[in-house]
Amino acid sequence: MTEAEFRSAFEQNKDVVYRFAWRMCGSAAVAEDIAQEVFLTLLRQPGRFDSARGALRSFLLAVARNLVLKRWRDDSRLDELEDQFATPPIDLEGRETADAVSAAVASLPPLQREVLILAQYEELSLEEIARTVDAEVGTVKSRLHRARENLRQVLAPLKSRNVGRSISHGTFGRS
Amino acid sequence: MEPLDDRELDKLLQQWQAPLAPPSLRAKVLPHRSHWWQWLATGTIRVPVPVGIAAVLALAAFLYFFRTTERPTAAQPAKSVSLADFQPVKQLEPRVVGRANEGN
Repeated sequence: MTEAEFRSAFEQNKDVVYRFAWRMCGSAAVAEDIAQEVFLTLLRQPGRFDSARGALRSFLLAVARNLVLKRWRDDSRLDELEDQFATPPIDLEGRETADAVSAAVASLPPLQREVLILAQYEELSLEEIARTVDAEVGTVKSRLHRARENLRQVLAPLKSRNVGRSISHGTFGRS
Repeated sequence: MEPLDDRELDKLLQQWQAPLAPPSLRAKVLPHRSHWWQWLATGTIRVPVPVGIAAVLALAAFLYFFRTTERPTAAQPAKSVSLADFQPVKQLEPRVVGRANEGN
């Protein structure tokens, strides 16, 4: 990969990678670190990207996703990767709608969260998401469906802009 | 409480906007571009060892033969002469020298 090709890849994908990491981690500093690592991986190991297996965007998002999971493992939050766990209560009191949505998405199990972010915000196809998260298309569909079902329940109080109450939920189902 | 329908959910989700990548990311990822003339002061050239040795030997041989076949230096040109140092003769004392047997 020439320097010009790398610069082009960076310019075209930097926002996608950063946004994904930011939404997954909820931290600007961590998102920047991850985005930096993603592009340095591409710079140092360009042979890892095979255009026959998918678009560069999917490859970069897959690298970002693996780095996010690695950070969770390093932070001993591996258990949270499981798709079934008790969600903490989401306090929507006094929150703006965007903050409430952010909290609701952050409360999803990571495997549901990542497919929801890739589908809803980055508008990847199911096939692209499947390549990115290294799963079957059917699995992705199931996780996405469960993620949206969970959000429908969690964000229901916002329907009438009645955000002045604390909501506690039980367990999300396994995808 | 009645759950949201698809349209309502999409509308809510779109209100959570993410920021663009910060400019500092570019500085961390993209290599700094320097002007070509900066290379003249800070650049380096990688030369393979055999090529370097051959170049040094060729230079040494050139210097050796150049010195041994050096031509003799040409005669130094005369210094410029200044008439300022010439003084007129104050007292002229002509002396006639004749032949020893003159007048005999």
